[in-house]
Amino acid sequence: MADTNIAVLMKGITKVYPNGIAANQSVDFSVNRGEIHALMGENGAGKSTLMKMLFGLEQPTEGEIIINGEPVSLTSPTVAISKGIGMVHQHFMLVPSLTVAENIVLGMEPTKGAFIDYAEAVRITKEFSEKYNLHVEPDAKVMDIPVGMKQKVEILKALVRGAKILILDEPTAVLTSQETAELFKELIHFKEQGHTIIFISHKLKEIKQITDRMTIMRGGKSMGVFNTADVSEQDISRLMVGRDVVLKVEKEKAEPTDTVLKVEDVHYENEYGKKMLNGVSFTVRKGEILGIAGVEGNGQRELVSMLFDMVPPDSGTITVEGQTVTGKGQSFIRELGVSHIPEDRMTYGAAGTASIEENLISDRFEKPAFNKGLLFDMDAIHKTSDQLIQDYLILCRSGKQQVKMLSGGNIQKVVVAREFSCDPKLIIADQPTRGIDVGATEFIRKKLVELSRNGAAVLLVSADLNEVMELSDSLMVFCGGEIVAYFEDTSTLSDEEMGEYMLGLKRQSPEEIRRVFHA
Amino acid sequence: MRKNLKFEIIRGAASILLALAVAMIFIFIISDVPFEALYNLIIGPFTKLRYLWLILERMIPIVFTGLGVCVMFQANQFNLAGEGTLFFGGLVAAAVAIYLPMPPVLHIIVCIVIASVVAAAAMLIPALLKTKLGASEMVSSLMLNYILLQLGVYILNWHMADRTQGATMSHLFQDTARIPTLVPRTNLSWGIIIALAMTALVALFMYRTKWGYAIRMVGQNQSFAKYSGIKVAGTIVLCQVIGGLLSGMGGAVEVLGYYDRFKWRQLPGYGWDGVTIAILAKNNPVFIPFAAFFMSYLKQGCNLMQTYTDVPAEMLSIIQAVIFLFFAAEQFLSKYRQKLVVKGAKEELAEKKAEGGQKGAEA
Amino acid sequence: MLNQLIGIIFSETFVFSIFRITTPILFAALAAVIAERAGVTNIGLEGIMMISALTGVIFSAKLQSAWLGLLFAILLGVLTALMIGFFALKLKTDIILAGIAVNMLGNGGTIFVMFLVSGDRGYSANLASKVMPAINIPILQNIPILGKILSGHNILTYFAFICVLLVWILLYKTPMGLQIRAVGESPNAADSVGVSVNRIKYIALGLSGALAGMGGAFMSMGYMSSFNTNMTAGRGFIALAAEAMGRAEPVGTMLTSLLFGFADALANNMQSLGLPQELVAMTPYVFTVVGLAIYAASTLKKNRKKLE
Repeated sequence: MADTNIAVLMKGITKVYPNGIAANQSVDFSVNRGEIHALMGENGAGKSTLMKMLFGLEQPTEGEIIINGEPVSLTSPTVAISKGIGMVHQHFMLVPSLTVAENIVLGMEPTKGAFIDYAEAVRITKEFSEKYNLHVEPDAKVMDIPVGMKQKVEILKALVRGAKILILDEPTAVLTSQETAELFKELIHFKEQGHTIIFISHKLKEIKQITDRMTIMRGGKSMGVFNTADVSEQDISRLMVGRDVVLKVEKEKAEPTDTVLKVEDVHYENEYGKKMLNGVSFTVRKGEILGIAGVEGNGQRELVSMLFDMVPPDSGTITVEGQTVTGKGQSFIRELGVSHIPEDRMTYGAAGTASIEENLISDRFEKPAFNKGLLFDMDAIHKTSDQLIQDYLILCRSGKQQVKMLSGGNIQKVVVAREFSCDPKLIIADQPTRGIDVGATEFIRKKLVELSRNGAAVLLVSADLNEVMELSDSLMVFCGGEIVAYFEDTSTLSDEEMGEYMLGLKRQSPEEIRRVFHA
Repeated sequence: MRKNLKFEIIRGAASILLALAVAMIFIFIISDVPFEALYNLIIGPFTKLRYLWLILERMIPIVFTGLGVCVMFQANQFNLAGEGTLFFGGLVAAAVAIYLPMPPVLHIIVCIVIASVVAAAAMLIPALLKTKLGASEMVSSLMLNYILLQLGVYILNWHMADRTQGATMSHLFQDTARIPTLVPRTNLSWGIIIALAMTALVALFMYRTKWGYAIRMVGQNQSFAKYSGIKVAGTIVLCQVIGGLLSGMGGAVEVLGYYDRFKWRQLPGYGWDGVTIAILAKNNPVFIPFAAFFMSYLKQGCNLMQTYTDVPAEMLSIIQAVIFLFFAAEQFLSKYRQKLVVKGAKEELAEKKAEGGQKGAEA
Repeated sequence: MLNQLIGIIFSETFVFSIFRITTPILFAALAAVIAERAGVTNIGLEGIMMISALTGVIFSAKLQSAWLGLLFAILLGVLTALMIGFFALKLKTDIILAGIAVNMLGNGGTIFVMFLVSGDRGYSANLASKVMPAINIPILQNIPILGKILSGHNILTYFAFICVLLVWILLYKTPMGLQIRAVGESPNAADSVGVSVNRIKYIALGLSGALAGMGGAFMSMGYMSSFNTNMTAGRGFIALAAEAMGRAEPVGTMLTSLLFGFADALANNMQSLGLPQELVAMTPYVFTVVGLAIYAASTLKKNRKKLE
C-alpha cells in the first residue's frame, strides 16, 4: 500500500555510466512530505547521480521512482518539473547575458501575441520574490549580480514552476555564513509552507542544524536513513567515510629561509571591470607552507592564474627567485622550478583522452633524458612513468590506460605525481584535494608537507577551511581581492575568528598585514 | 582496450555497409541495369590487374593530403586548405620541372622540396592568423583554397601556358623531372613508394618525437598543454605548416608522376578526399594508406559503373558523404557499445567480489 | 585608372549591383547567425546553397513555376540542415565534419543529380527553369538615382533585407528567440528548466537551412538563370566570415555582408579596367581573409582579459 506521506521514493536504483563506472548500486531513498532531508556522502559517493535521476537529467539503469505514491518515468527535467520537482544546482544553471526575469521565465515565457511580454515576466518575478521573501532585481543581468542573489534566482526558477519538492545540491558551498544563515531561514519558511526539501551536503554542522532526517551514501550505496537528532557528528562521519576522518597531519615546525616567490602590489580588474585584486603583496619562503583562506571568488583564482602567467596583472610585479614571471610563459616558469596543482584537474591538470604515461611526462618530454636524437627514448619514458605510478600509488591497469577512465582521486594522483616529481622549488597547490577520496587526500597532504620540509616553498589555496588551517604554517585571508589578515602561526586560530575575517567583518591593521611581505 | 578496437572495427564495417546500402537504393531507383551497376561498383575493381594499378595510382595524392589532415586534425586545427596547397604545390613543382634544368633524380628532389616549402609557407597564413590574432583557421583556410586556385590559374594562363596547345596547359616538363613509373606499361609511378615512406615518417613523427607529442597534447587538451609548458602557438603553426608541406609534396609527386604538363584549372578535390580518409583512419597516419586504398577502390568502382552502365560516377560523393558521416558519428551504435561496457563493468564487479570473498575467507 | 574606378563606384549600376551581389551572402550569413546563436556552427551552408540552387532549377523547370521551385529549394535546404542536426546532435558527429560532408554532397551530389535529370554535367542549360521576378517599386522607381539603385531588384533581394528585421525580431522579441539565445549561451541552463536543447538546435538549424536555401535559390533563379557546378564559389564560407565579423547580430551581419558585396562588385568592375580576370576573381576571398584578420585583431584585446 502506498504511503501517502512519502513524497519521494526511489527503490533499488542502479546507475552504470557509459564509461563503465557504477555510480549507484541498488540504492533505496525515501523522503517524507514536508521534511528537510539531508543526502550526505563524500564526493563521488553517488549523491549527485541519484539526484540527477530524480530530476530527469539521467535515467536509472535499474530501479523504480515513485513520486507522491505514483510510479513515474523521469525521462527529462521537463517531466520532473511537471511532477513538482525542482533542483538548484551546485553550479548555477543561469544564462549570464539574460536578465533575472528572463532567466526565471525561460521556457514558460508569458506572451502578448507572438512576442514575449517582458513586463509580465517582471511581474511574475516580483510576485514570487515577495511571496517567498527572496529578494532579487528582475531587470539586472545575471552576470552582474552577486552569488547569493544568483542562488535566489535559481530557487525562484524552481518555485515559479510549481516545485513542491526542492533539491538543493550543496547550496552553501559558495555562500558566506550570513548568506547561509539567510538561506536556512528561507528553507524553514518553505518547509512551513509544506514544501519538501532534499539537501545535499557534506558539512556536518549544517546538516545537524537544519535537517530532520538524513540518508548517508558511500561508494554508490546507501548506508541507511537516520533521524538527525539521533546521530552524532562522529557517527555520521564514520558512516560517510567508514572510519574516523584523520584530519591531523603530523608536521614539524617550519623553519622558513630564503624568499622564493615575491608578489608585490598586484592589481587586477576582470573582463567585466570588477576589481579582483587590489594591491596584493606577500612572499613565500623556502620550507614553509603559506595558506590562502577565503570564500571562493575573492581573487584567489585570479592570483593563481597570474603566478603561472595565464593572465597578466594590470600592475604590480611577481618574481620567483628574483626573476619576473609575467609574460614569460609556462615553460620558463617551470624551468624556474615552479610546479602547480591546478584547481580544475580535467581542464588544466590532465588530458583525459591521453594515456597516464603521456600525462606524466607533459612537463619534461623535451628534456634530453627522454630524447635520443630526434626520437623519444621510449624506454626512459616507460621507466619514469612506471616508477611514478608505483611511487604515487596510482591505481590503474597500466600506464597506457586513458586518464579519464580513472577515478577522481587517481587522476589527481597523476597530476600530483607529475608536479611533485620535478624537484620543485615552489609549489602552487590550488584546491589540491577537492572532490577526491579520503585515502588520496591524506596521501597528497602528506606529500605536500614532506616536500615543504625538504625545502620547497608551498603556496596553498583551499576552500576547505580544515585543510588550509591544518596544513599551513602561516596563513593569509583573502577578502574582496585584498589580504585582510595574516597569521604567522595557525595552531591557535579558531574557526570563528577565521570566519569573521573571511566575511570581511574584521580586518587587521596594514602593519599586521604587511608582515606577510618578507622583503 | 581490445574491446574498444573490436567495437571500432564493427562500427566501421557497419558504416561502410550502410553507405553501400544507400548506394544500392539509388542504383535500383535510377538504373535500368542495377545488378550490372552494382557488380561494376563492388566486384569490378578486382576483375583486372590493370584496375589494381589504377587504384594504387589514384591513392598517391590522397595519401599525402590524408597525412596532412591527420597531423592538423590531431592538433584540433580544422585547416581545410589541403585542397589549395596541393594544387599550388603541383604548380610550383611544374614550374621548377620546366624552367630549372638539373641532372636527373636531383631535379625531382628539388621540384618536390621547393613545392613542399612553398605550400608550407602558404599555410603560414591561416596558422599565423590563428595564433597571432585568433582568427578561425577554418574560414581563412577555405578562403586560401580559392586564392591559391585563382593565383595558380593566373600564373598558368599568363606565364606558363604553352600557346601551341589547344587547351590551356603548361609546357612539357623536362624528362629529368619526371618521376619514373614503377610498374611498366602503367601510370603507377615511384610516387606510391614516396607516399608509403612518408606515411612511416609521419607515424614516427606523431608518436615517437617530442613535436608529435606536443601536437597531440595540444589537440587533446589545449589548456593542459599550455599549462604544462608546451608552446601552444608554435605547435599550432607547426602542425599546419607540416600539413601544407605534405599536401604540397602530394601535389608535386602527383604532377611529376602522372602528367607531362601542368593541366589543372580546377581544384582536383584531393584535399577533401584527404579529409575523408583521415576520418576513416581516425586521424592515425598508420591507417591512412588503407583508407586511401579503400577510397581509391570506391572511385575505381564508380568509374567502372559509369563506363559500363548508366549510373554516373559522381555517385561516389554520396557514398563518401554517408561513410564520412557515420564514421565520425560517436554515438553510432553507442547502445551496442554501452552494452559491451556495462557487461565489462559487471564482470569486473563480480571479479572484485570474488576476490574480496577469497580474502575474507583467508582472514 | 583611379578616376575610372571612382566613376564606377559612384555609378548607379554599381550600387545596384552591390545589393544584388550581397543577396546570397546575406541569406547565408543570416543562416549562420541563427545557427551560431543556438550554439551550432553550420559550415554546411555552402553545400546547402548548392543543393537548393539545383533543386530550385529542377522543380521550377518541371513544375513550370518559379515559386514552387523556390518552395522546394527551401524545403531541401531545411531537410539538409536537419540532416546535419541529426548527425551532430543524435549521433554526435562533430558538427564541423557533418558540415563538410554536406559540402561534399553539395559538390558531387548535385552533379550526380543534374546529370540524371538533364544529362549534362556542367550546367543546366537543358532545363527550362524559371527565374524569380524582379520588382519595380512604385513612386520609388521614379525618384532619380535612388530609384535606379533601390528599385527593380529581384524579389528575393528585398526579402533578404526584410529577413534581417525578421531574424532580429525572432531573436530578441519572441520566446523562441530567448530560448535560442539561452541554448547557445548556456545549454545547461536551458536544459534545467525543461527547454529541450536539441529541439531548439534542430529548429535553429531548420531555419538556418531555410535561409541558406533561399540564398541558393537566388543563385540559380535570380543572380543567374541556370545551375552550374560549383556556382556558389565559397559564398557559404564567406557568409561564415560575415557572421563572425557581424558578431552574430542580424544588423551587424547585414553590414558586413554588404561590405563583402561591395568587394565582390568592385572586383567584377575591375575586370573592365583590364586587370587579369583570375586576379580579380581572387579579390573577394582576399578581402574576406583581411576582413577576418582585422576583426579578430579588434576583439583580441577584449578576449585577453578572459580567464580561461
